[in-house]
Amino acid sequence: MPAATLELDRINTFRGPAQILREVSLRVADGEAICLVGRNGAGKTTTIDSIMGLLPVRSGRVAFRDRDITRLPTHERALLGIGYAPEDCGIFPDLSVEENFQITSWLASARATARRGLDERVFSVFPEVKDFMTRRGLHLSGGQKKMVAITRAMSLVPSILLLDEPFEGLAPVVVTRFIEAVRAIKAMGISVLIAESHLANATRVADRLYAIDRGEIIFQGHPRDVFANEDVMRTIRG
Amino acid sequence: MDVLLIHLLNSLLYASVLFLIAGGLSLIYGVMRIVNLAHGNLYAFGAYVTAWAVGSVAAGASVPVWLVLLPAGALAAAMLGAILEPTLLRPFYRRAEEYQLLCTFGLLMILEDVLRFIWGPYPLSASTLFESFGSLSVGESIYPTYNFLVIGVGAAAAVFLWAFIYRTKFGVVLRATSQNMRMAAALGVNVNRVYIQAFTLGCFMAGLGGAIIVPSQSAVLGMGVDALVLAFIVVVIGGLGSLEGALVGALIVGFVREAGITWFAEIELAVLYLIAALVLLVRPAGLFGRP
Repeated sequence: MPAATLELDRINTFRGPAQILREVSLRVADGEAICLVGRNGAGKTTTIDSIMGLLPVRSGRVAFRDRDITRLPTHERALLGIGYAPEDCGIFPDLSVEENFQITSWLASARATARRGLDERVFSVFPEVKDFMTRRGLHLSGGQKKMVAITRAMSLVPSILLLDEPFEGLAPVVVTRFIEAVRAIKAMGISVLIAESHLANATRVADRLYAIDRGEIIFQGHPRDVFANEDVMRTIRG
Repeated sequence: MDVLLIHLLNSLLYASVLFLIAGGLSLIYGVMRIVNLAHGNLYAFGAYVTAWAVGSVAAGASVPVWLVLLPAGALAAAMLGAILEPTLLRPFYRRAEEYQLLCTFGLLMILEDVLRFIWGPYPLSASTLFESFGSLSVGESIYPTYNFLVIGVGAAAAVFLWAFIYRTKFGVVLRATSQNMRMAAALGVNVNRVYIQAFTLGCFMAGLGGAIIVPSQSAVLGMGVDALVLAFIVVVIGGLGSLEGALVGALIVGFVREAGITWFAEIELAVLYLIAALVLLVRPAGLFGRP
């Protein structure tokens, strides 16, 4: 079995008094693309937030390359090599696209070796991003924001990318473009964990699937197996 | 004509000090979303430290020594800010705003008592520095030379801050953190470090305002609260969280106050409040604030 880039071991996470995640366990191997599928409110974003340290994990363990990062601050997780593109893209509206990139490039600049040839690698996924570097975040379209968010996360030289609903709100033809981008990222040896509501999109990109409902993992396995599981299909589709 | 020029210089003098105080207040709010009610007494702390250093510790020294000691108040206020942020303010970030207001208001009161405890109830003066600068002729009138220094420092602070925030790496990180703290952290920014730096810089500005003005007026108890009220009028007019707003607001308040003192002294403050109320009615976020 390939080594794990990221591993969640029976984590429980609360938002205020409400328990959102219940004993969630999940594993992303090196170079693997994993989709976490579920309906709205199932716990996908909470899982991603728990991995990034944006929400504290009440119990359980989050490990990155066998290192326990459960209590590590968010910024240290990012610098370890966990890239993150949130559902709302998190583009800084008053900063230019170039300034959005500068933050990550300055922080990653300490790792000079990793940065060698990085720009070519980063922008090879979405080369069109170079065309709107001077534009302010506020003036980007939804699709452009998603491209910038993913490219910006790539510029941190990550070992794993966490993409929260990367295909949401995109036209079908653009979804295909983004799926190709995820494949290209995976081909670079970067692991990918995608939170996705639409099973069809998930099956096009994932090596393995996890299905989550009401904060619990209800399925894990190969994408083709999920279609054979009627209970899971009914739950995911509502 | 000379009289008008003197009024203009007085307005700029007042606006310079107000910008330093309100700019710091706005910077702290812009980055950390904290309304720091203790800000007024950080200005007073800066004034007291410089008055003490120039007027007492180095009373018999020369002008160059006094000028070197002038920023002591700003540095002391910055150091105090660097201690206050992680110890007293940080535990309240995740709480409701009322807790933060209560905490900073309590700090305002505590600092007032600390000033009284250290330097006593009597005014502290550094007027020897002010007097040593002499006066300049402005037409047929004379004007204190030291006031030009204050105006110059205010202008330099505005330029420096603009360049610092819009032309440096730290400025980009600061603006990113102010716009989306969670995302900045997820990109590797140590938000706690940014907060302490922003708070320290804001306190430095308040302390600099106090330090630079104290040679021309004494450090007295209560000066912090008076300054806080005026700084709030500035940020209400300009927009809380906006440095451009703090600059324009300070200039408006500076000019209106000077005109008020000259032509309608009895209702000078009332006019300022009226302008602030009008801005709130027409543009609640202030002239440069974001709704």
